[in-house]
Amino acid sequence: MFNRPRMHRSRPPLPGSASRRTVLWPFVISLTVVLMVSAVKQEDFKTCAQSGFCTRNRAYAELASGTPDWESPFRLDPTSLQLEDGVLTGDLIHAPTSSSSSAESGGALNAGYTIEVHLLDSDAVRVRMNERDPKRRRYDGLQKSVLVKPLVSSTQYDQLGRDEDGLFTINYGSRRQNSARIRFAPFQIEFLADGVSTLVLNEGGLLKIEAAQVWSDVADTRTRTPMERRLEQGMWSERFKDIIDTKPRGPESFGLDITFPDIEDVYGIPEHASSLSLKTTRGPGAQYNEPYRLYNLDVFEYEIDSPMALYGSIPFMLGHSKDKTAGVFWMNAAETWIDIEKIESTSGSSRRTTRTHWYSEAGVLDLFVFLGPTHRDIFKQYSSLVGTTALPQSFSIGYHQCRWNYISQKDVIEVDAGFETHEIPYDVLWLDIEHTNGKRYFTWDPKQFPDPFDMQLHLANKGRKMVTIIDPHIKMDRGYHISKEATDKSLFVMNNHLKPFDGWCWPGSSQWIDFENPRAKDWWASQFSYDRYKGSTNTLFTWNDMNEPSVFTGPEITLPKDAMHYNRVEHRSIHNIYGAMFHAATAQGLSTRNETLQRPFVLSRAFFAGSQRYGSVWTGDNKASWEHFEVAAPMLLTIGLAGLPFSGADVGGFFGDPEPELLTRWYQAGAFYPFFRAHAHLDSKRREPWLFGEPYTSQIRAAIRTRYSLLPFWYTLFQEASMDGVPIIRPMFFEFPSDEATYRMEDQFMVGEALLVKPVTTAGATQSEVYFAGNEKWFEFYDGQVKQGPGVQSVSSPAYKIPVYQRAGTIVPKRETPRRSSKEMENDPFTLVVALDSKGEAYGRLYLDDGESYEYSRGDYILREFKVQGSVLTSRSLNRQESETEWSFIRRYSSLKVERIVFQGLSEPVSRVVIDGRPTVVESWHDVAGKQHVVIVSRANLSIGQDWSVSLS
Amino acid sequence: MKTHSVCLPILATLALSAAVTRANVNINNAARGVSPSNAKLYVPDSVNNWSCLDGSKTIPFSAVNDDYCDCIDGSDEPGTSACGTGQFYCANIGHTPSNIKTSRVNDGVCDEECCDGSDEYDGQTHCPNVCEEVGAKAREENDRIQSIQNEGARLRRGFIKHGKANKVSLTNELETLRDQVDQVQLALNDARAKLDAANEEQGAYLEGSKSEREATRRQQLEPLIQEQTKRLKYAIEVRDMLKITLQNLKEKHNKNFHDMAVKGTVSGFDDYIVAQGEKTEVVEDDLASLASDRQFDALVDETSVVLRDIGTLHDLLDGMKRDYNTEYNDEAVLAAVKVTDDFEITWDSSKLDFADVEHLVLPEELPVDSPEAEKFRDATDLAQAAFNEASDKENKIQEGIRDIERKLNMDFGPDETFSQLVDKCFDFKDTEYTYSVCLFGDANQSSHSSTHLGKFSGWEGDNYDVQMYTGGTKCWNGPERSVKLVMSCGTTTEIVSVTEPEKCEYLFKLQTPAVCPIPEGEGEADEQEQDQERQQDQQQEEEGEEHTRKHDEL
Repeated sequence: MFNRPRMHRSRPPLPGSASRRTVLWPFVISLTVVLMVSAVKQEDFKTCAQSGFCTRNRAYAELASGTPDWESPFRLDPTSLQLEDGVLTGDLIHAPTSSSSSAESGGALNAGYTIEVHLLDSDAVRVRMNERDPKRRRYDGLQKSVLVKPLVSSTQYDQLGRDEDGLFTINYGSRRQNSARIRFAPFQIEFLADGVSTLVLNEGGLLKIEAAQVWSDVADTRTRTPMERRLEQGMWSERFKDIIDTKPRGPESFGLDITFPDIEDVYGIPEHASSLSLKTTRGPGAQYNEPYRLYNLDVFEYEIDSPMALYGSIPFMLGHSKDKTAGVFWMNAAETWIDIEKIESTSGSSRRTTRTHWYSEAGVLDLFVFLGPTHRDIFKQYSSLVGTTALPQSFSIGYHQCRWNYISQKDVIEVDAGFETHEIPYDVLWLDIEHTNGKRYFTWDPKQFPDPFDMQLHLANKGRKMVTIIDPHIKMDRGYHISKEATDKSLFVMNNHLKPFDGWCWPGSSQWIDFENPRAKDWWASQFSYDRYKGSTNTLFTWNDMNEPSVFTGPEITLPKDAMHYNRVEHRSIHNIYGAMFHAATAQGLSTRNETLQRPFVLSRAFFAGSQRYGSVWTGDNKASWEHFEVAAPMLLTIGLAGLPFSGADVGGFFGDPEPELLTRWYQAGAFYPFFRAHAHLDSKRREPWLFGEPYTSQIRAAIRTRYSLLPFWYTLFQEASMDGVPIIRPMFFEFPSDEATYRMEDQFMVGEALLVKPVTTAGATQSEVYFAGNEKWFEFYDGQVKQGPGVQSVSSPAYKIPVYQRAGTIVPKRETPRRSSKEMENDPFTLVVALDSKGEAYGRLYLDDGESYEYSRGDYILREFKVQGSVLTSRSLNRQESETEWSFIRRYSSLKVERIVFQGLSEPVSRVVIDGRPTVVESWHDVAGKQHVVIVSRANLSIGQDWSVSLS
Repeated sequence: MKTHSVCLPILATLALSAAVTRANVNINNAARGVSPSNAKLYVPDSVNNWSCLDGSKTIPFSAVNDDYCDCIDGSDEPGTSACGTGQFYCANIGHTPSNIKTSRVNDGVCDEECCDGSDEYDGQTHCPNVCEEVGAKAREENDRIQSIQNEGARLRRGFIKHGKANKVSLTNELETLRDQVDQVQLALNDARAKLDAANEEQGAYLEGSKSEREATRRQQLEPLIQEQTKRLKYAIEVRDMLKITLQNLKEKHNKNFHDMAVKGTVSGFDDYIVAQGEKTEVVEDDLASLASDRQFDALVDETSVVLRDIGTLHDLLDGMKRDYNTEYNDEAVLAAVKVTDDFEITWDSSKLDFADVEHLVLPEELPVDSPEAEKFRDATDLAQAAFNEASDKENKIQEGIRDIERKLNMDFGPDETFSQLVDKCFDFKDTEYTYSVCLFGDANQSSHSSTHLGKFSGWEGDNYDVQMYTGGTKCWNGPERSVKLVMSCGTTTEIVSVTEPEKCEYLFKLQTPAVCPIPEGEGEADEQEQDQERQQDQQQEEEGEEHTRKHDEL
C-alpha cells in the first residue's frame, strides 16, 4: 500500500463550501475542497544530480568521454601477480597519466589497491577490488546473506602467462573454453568465450574507487572549476529536502564500466517500470536522462517508462545477442546507479556494443562474471551462487483474493461464500493492515475479528488458506509484546547518535527491527510460533509489506542512510538487502513453527538477489490503468531474468477502479503470472470477480479455471526453476535465443517451454498480432487451431479469451475437473495434451509431491518424463532414488490415473492405439479442417507412477 | 454465449465425441447422484445404449457414471466429478433433498448441503450422516421464520390497506385543491393589477421630487457610508493577511511528509484562488458615483463577501490546525498555526464590529410629509396588504398541491405498502456513530456533528426491497457518500445493522413487515379485522422507535 501518513475513516470534508447571493456584481463562488491523491511525486525521490556519489561518478564518466585519448589511471603491477588455487591476486596502482590528471580531484586518492580474481567451480569468475590499507574499513559482510554456500575454487584452468602484447591470459572452464585476458596498463580484464570477446571490465576506463578518507585529508582551498565541484559533490554531507545525511564516513563510492562487445541488448537490474531490453541513459540520443537506479523505495502510483528506483533491487544483468551471451552480478546492497550506452563496435561488427557503467555508494567492488556458453547455463551459474527459487507451498500457485481491507470476520465469510456461489476457485483470502489491533502486527482487531480460529477453520474446511500482513515497523508501545521484547533485547535499528531510531509509519511512531543483528532473525522467526502469534493456525501464512523499509518521515520515505545497525554497520551499506533479510526471517518463522519443517509462504514487496529462496514478490502499488497492466509483463519478465521467478502484479491494479473490461483482461493475463493475486486499495470500489455481472463473471471464472486446470504444469515448472534457476515465465528470446526479432519483444511471453501467452492490453481489441517464433506449429490452447511459424499473424482475441498457444514438440499435463481449491484437486486424474512437432515428436514432464513438506528432498516425489518418438508415447520415472515404495506420497499417489491423452498435430489418421502392448480400439479420432489429425485416448486408465507406453499406428 | 467454449476446452469436447466401449461398470452406479424425478432419464435403450440429456451423443449405458466425462452437458456423470458441471442429488433423508455441483463430489469436503454425506464415497473422506440433527434444527428455524412471516404478512396487509386508502384520500384532496386554484389566481391577478396601479401613481408623484430627496438622503447616510468603508478596509486587510499566510504555507511546507491535513488545506486554498480569479474586486471609486442607498448596499454586500472569504480561509487553516501531524515539526506549518492562533484571539475581540448587534442597517428614508404624499402612500399600503393576502392564499394552495403530488408521485410499490413508512425515521447506534434514515428522505451519520449520507434517490431492482440514498457529503479523497438500504422481513421496522463495505458507501439493513411475503392467492381479509389490525399497527408504528430490538429478523 502506498504511504499515507494517516487514514481518515470517512472524514467529513474541510469546511469552506460557499455560494453567495448575487449582489451588484453577479458572481457565484462555489468553493469545494477537493482533495486528490495524485501520482508519484517525483520530487520526493532523488535525481542523479541530487545524489553526491551519482554526480561524482557521472561527472567522471563525462570527463572521460570529453577527454581525447582518455586512459584509466589504474594499472596493474606485473610483479605482484600471483595465481594460486584458482585465485589470482595483484596490486592495482592509481597513477594518473596526463590525460586523466585532472581527475585527481576528490582529495587524496589512495595509491594502493588490491585485486582478486577467483575462478569458481561453477565456471563463474569473481572479481574483487579494494583499498590496500583503507583508513576506514569498508563493509564487506554481504556474502553471508547473499551467497547460498561457501564458494569453491575451480581446478580447471591453465595459466598462459604474458603474451607478446603484454597481456596475461588464463584459460578456464572444463574445456578451457573461457579466457580472462588481463591488460596491465591501463588496467583492463577481457573475458572471452570460445575465443570471442564477450565481456570487458574497465574498457572505458571508468574504474574509480574513492579512498576512505578523514576530513583533514581533504582540506583544500583551491578555486574549483564546475567539473571539479561536481567531482566532489556531497562527499561529506548531503541535504535532500530538509533531511541531512551526515556521512560520518565520508566518501567511499566506487564505479566501473562493464562492456558487452557486439551485444546490443542487455536485460535485468530490476526493479523498474521500464522495457524488457534496457534503454540507453547516456550518449547521443539517450532514451532516458537519468541512469537506472537501484535503491529500494516505497513509490506509490509509480511512473511508467522510467529508470526511477522501485521497491526491489537485483544487480544482475544479462547481455544477449545471436552468437554470444554473458551475465554479470554486481554484489552490492548500497544505493547503485547504472548508466547504459550503446557505442559503435570496435571489432567491425554491424551490431553495436553496449557499455554499462555501475557505481555504488559504499562497500567493496565485488562482482561475478558468467559466460554460459548458453543463457540457460548462465542461470545455472548465477543461481548456484545466490540460490534458486524455493519449491513453494503448492496452494500458493493457485489464485489469491486480496483487498485493503476485508473488514471483518463476517466480511471474510461472505466473500468466501461469493466464490462458492459463483463457482470460482480460489486458494487464499488475504487480510491487510486493518485486521490488526491498532497496526500491531501479530494481533487481531478484537471487534472485527473476534474468532480468528473459527474463521480460518471455515476456509480450511474447503482446502483454503489465509494470509495476514506482517510489516517490519513496530509500533512504539511498551504494552505491545513485540515492541517491549525487541526493546529489551536491543533489536531495533539505531539513529546516527546510536539511540533507537524512531520514525512514522502506519501505527504512528514506530521502530524497525535490525536484521543485521545475528540474534534478530531467530527472535523474529520465533514470533510465528502458534503460542506467540495468538489466533494463528497452520493454514495462516504471511505477507511482508513496507520492507524497503518504508518510513513516512524518512528521506525518500525510507530509513536515513546514517542510521546504524548492529556492529556499527551503516544503513547505507545494506539498504537494498534489508527487505530480503526481513523476508528471510519471516520465512524461517513459518517454516519452523510446526513439529516438522514445512515450506513457508511469504510474499514480499522489497527484494534483493537471493529473495527467491524465501518466497514470492509482487510489483507493488500499481494502478488500475491499461498502461500499468501493459508494463506488468516486462516488469515480471525482468524480475524472472534476475533469478526471481515467483512474481506477480496486482490483478486489476491497486489504485483506482478498473473498468470491467480491463479487470477481465487483467485476470486473463494474470492467470499466467507465476504469482496470481487480485488486490485493491481501501479507497477503491469492491471488485470481487462476480460484482460486474455477466458476461464478466463468466469470463473471469473461465480465466481462473484455466489457471487451475494447468496447476500440474505450473508446479512442474516451479520444480524445474528450483533446480536450474531458470525463469518460469520467459521472454520470447529465452526460448528462441537466435531469433533477433524476439530480443525486444515484451508484449507476449512463454510459460515454460510450452505455452505462448499474449495479454490483450488495449480496450476494445478483439484481434491481436501474435508473433509465432520458430519453424514449427502452434496449437491454440482452447480450440486446437493450428498456426505455422515463423511470423506475425493476426488472431482473434474475443472478450472471453486471450491468445494462448501450445508449441509443437511439447506435452502439457492438466487436470480438468473444476474444483474449489487446489487442495481439492489432489486426487483428480490427469489429461496429457501432446502437441507433436514436424518430426512427430514431443516432450514433457510432470512433477508431483505433497506440496507442503520437505519430504521431496529425501526422495518422496513423483517426477515423470513423457516422450513421443516414432509414434510411441512413453512415460518413465526421473526420480533420483529407487525403492520408491517406502515413501508415503509415492505410495498414496502413484496410482493416480491419466484418464485422457490428446494427440495433436498428427500427420496421418491413426487407426490403432496400443497401450503397453495391449491393442486398444481407437476410441476417438478427429480431423480438424483437414489440416491435422487429433486422437483422443479416453479412459486411458494409466497410473501416473508407473512406466507405460502408448503406440499409435 | 460463447464463454461456454472457454469453460469446456475443445480438447475435452473432442474427447466427448468419441465412441466408447467399456465394460464391467456396476449397473447400480448408474443411479448414483440421480434424483427420483430424473430416474426415468437414466435407463438404457433397447440395445443397452444411452443418450446424453442434451441429445448430443449416444454412449453405452455402461459409460454412465464410469468416472469419465463423455457428454458436453456433463449429464453422463451425475454421480462422479468427472464432468464437474452436472448436478449430484443428495437424498438427505430426515432433512430436505438437495442438488450440489458434481465438481463437489469426492473433493474431500463434507458439503453442508449434503448432510447425508453421500457426496464423499471414494473412501478418502468420511462424512457422517447428520441429516436428523440438521433437519431438526432446520425445521425449528423454519418454524421461527414462518411465525415471523405470518405476523409480518398480517402487518403488511395493514400497511397495504393504509396505503391504498391514503392514496384515495390524497387524490380527493388534490382534486379539491385544484378546483380552488383558478379562483385564487384570478383574485391574485386582480390584486396585483391594483397594486401596480397604486405604485405607478405614487412613483409618478415621487419622480417630481427626486433630486431634492437624494440630497437629504445622502446627508442622512454619509456617516454610515464612512463607517462601512472603514470596516470593509479592515476586513480586506485581515483577509489578505490570511491569504499571505496560506500562500507561504503552500510554498514552504515540506511535501515529503504527505501530511494529509496540510495537503487538504493547500489544495483548498488552490481552489479558493481559482474561484477568486472569476470575480471582480470592488473599486471604491465606482461606488462613489452611485446613489447613496445603492452605495451603502454595495459596501455592506462587499463587506459580507470579504467576511465570507475570511471565514473560508480561516476554516482552511483551522482544519489543518486540528488535524496536522505534530510529530513532523514542519516550520511552515507551525508558522501558519501560529498565525491562526493569533488571528483567532484578535478576531474574537474585533469581530464585534461586524456582529449583528452593531450591524449597520440602512435606515428608513425620512417620509416626505405632505397630505398628498400621505394619500399616495396609504393607497399603496392598502393595495400591498390586499395583494399579500391573495398571494399567501395562492401559495398555501400551491404548496398543498405540491406536497400531495410529491407523495402521490412516490413509488410506494405496486400495492402502496410503503406509504405507511414515508418520512418515518429510524436510528442505529454503533460504538462510534449514530446512523439514521428517514425513509424516502435523508440518511445521516452523527457523532459530535452530523454528516449527510444521502437523499432518497430510488429503488434498486424490481423487488421493492432495496433503496438507494445518494449525493451525500463528499468524502475525503473519495466519492459522495451513499447508502444502500436493504430490507428484510420482520415484525417491526428497525435498522438491524450498518456497515461500510466500501469507503463512504454504507449498507443499512432494515427489517420491516413491508417486505414480508404475502401468501399467494390470499384474498383481502375481512374488512373489520383489517381495521382493527390497522389501529394496532399504527399504534405499534408510533411506539416503534422506542422498542427494544428483538432481532427477530430473518
